[in-house]
Amino acid sequence: MATPPNVRLDLPSRPENVLLVRESLTGLAEAAGIAGADLSDVRTAATEAANNVVLHAYPGGEGPMEVEIDIAEGFLSVCVRDHGVGLPREAELQDGEGIGLPVIRALTHRVDFMQTPGGGAEVRMEFATPGVRDLPAGEASEVDLLADLEGGENAVGVSIAPPALARPVLPRLLTVLAARAHFSTDRISDIVLLADALVAQGAGSLSGSELRLSVSVEPRVIGLHLGPLRSGRAGELLSDSEVQGLGPILAKLADAHEVLARDSHDVLTLQLQDRR
Amino acid sequence: MNASPAATTQPRVLPRSDEDPRELFARWQQHGDRAAREALVQRFMPLARSLARRYDRSSEPYEDLMQVASLGLLKALDRFDAERGPSFASFAIPTILGEMRRYFRDSGWSLHVPRGDKERALKVRDAQETFTNEKGHAPTVSQLAQYLELEPESVIDGLLAIQAYESLSLDAPRPGGEDDAITYGDTVGDEDHRYELIELDSTVVAVLDRLPAREREILRMRFVEELTQTQIAQRVGVSQMQVSRLLRRSLDQLRAMTQDSTPG
Repeated sequence: MATPPNVRLDLPSRPENVLLVRESLTGLAEAAGIAGADLSDVRTAATEAANNVVLHAYPGGEGPMEVEIDIAEGFLSVCVRDHGVGLPREAELQDGEGIGLPVIRALTHRVDFMQTPGGGAEVRMEFATPGVRDLPAGEASEVDLLADLEGGENAVGVSIAPPALARPVLPRLLTVLAARAHFSTDRISDIVLLADALVAQGAGSLSGSELRLSVSVEPRVIGLHLGPLRSGRAGELLSDSEVQGLGPILAKLADAHEVLARDSHDVLTLQLQDRR
Repeated sequence: MNASPAATTQPRVLPRSDEDPRELFARWQQHGDRAAREALVQRFMPLARSLARRYDRSSEPYEDLMQVASLGLLKALDRFDAERGPSFASFAIPTILGEMRRYFRDSGWSLHVPRGDKERALKVRDAQETFTNEKGHAPTVSQLAQYLELEPESVIDGLLAIQAYESLSLDAPRPGGEDDAITYGDTVGDEDHRYELIELDSTVVAVLDRLPAREREILRMRFVEELTQTQIAQRVGVSQMQVSRLLRRSLDQLRAMTQDSTPG
């Protein structure tokens, strides 16, 4: 089976989603020992690539932006893909516009600009950071978690493989999304506790070695879909979070939960609201 | 300040100039014409500014970034080969970025928590407490951003730093405290008592009982009484951030203990 990237994000090409790219990258890079100026270079280049999609890929509108982050064989690689108008699309440098691509070139060890099959552009960046630790690889899950869920258009899709890598990534992502949902810092802290619990308890219940999450954000409400879980495991995941004397932590941190049983797997749905 | 996604929307990085830059480069590089150099600086300064603004390191003061970027621009003006090279911008961008990266390395950015990040995190923490005390409820990120005159993104970075670096809250004096000598470290007790606790016979003692009384009480208030973290903070007399930190650590410890006591 194909080896999936350590982190994959499926995002609508909106300015606010660039921060999700940066925070995922930061969490993963720090787990691999990349910090300081090296991390700053990586974040800057990835930000340029993502901004380029947001601003230029879908003139007058928006569309999907796919980001893949992987650390293997001593290299951190970031791939930013869209299905928009394709390259070239930036004004030439002589006009003084579009300095994003030269910035990417200056900060990366290697960069390739490609056409996405079926239309669109793909920027593949590779960073050679001395002393970077390889991260373990996961196996791709065959289930498309997002396919059969409603509200997918605005939702943020996250895949993490192997699931242990969710520990440095997921609390960051959910903090950003909770801030976007106008949660108070109080409830943002709760969602971090929830992320920790999902990471700790979720890995053993997955039906593969890839953790997938779909997150929808509305004012003061966040909806989470987690899976694909082995059939029958979603309910157990909730009860596993039980601490004697405290009750099921996951269920208590969320305002509502639901188990969606599919043919081949379960999906756990959690909803959090801000309380003030 | 912060590299925001909108940074690239600046409509024109380079203003129009009547003079041909090739002409200006020739006058400066071949004849040492300082007026020509000045005109080139004027013309390309927006490029340096744009790079300084987008360089993703908001903890460094923008003025400093701008100074380093300008230095890079001057170097690029001296070295650019107007006869052969492509556009000046494509030559100048790597030169300016190179200058900025060297500066960052020299100024100790390899430290795990840059000083600027830490200061900002402390500011966010203090503002969070002040706001909560004044309004009786915890602020949102945009309220904190408004209060601190920071980008929301910087506030989020601050919150994440507070989550990530536990020592942050332990060695900093409590804000607004009557007695400045009291630190969080004093108020939450010894950090590492868990290790001796874990050595207790895990099958005999319920995991919760192996936590210190204070942590146990905070967990009980959050999950049994179902109080908010802010309410708990008010009862216990610490900040909400501190409650959050204690909850996170306690739950981690509980999970570790449960795993230890579960065979396989």
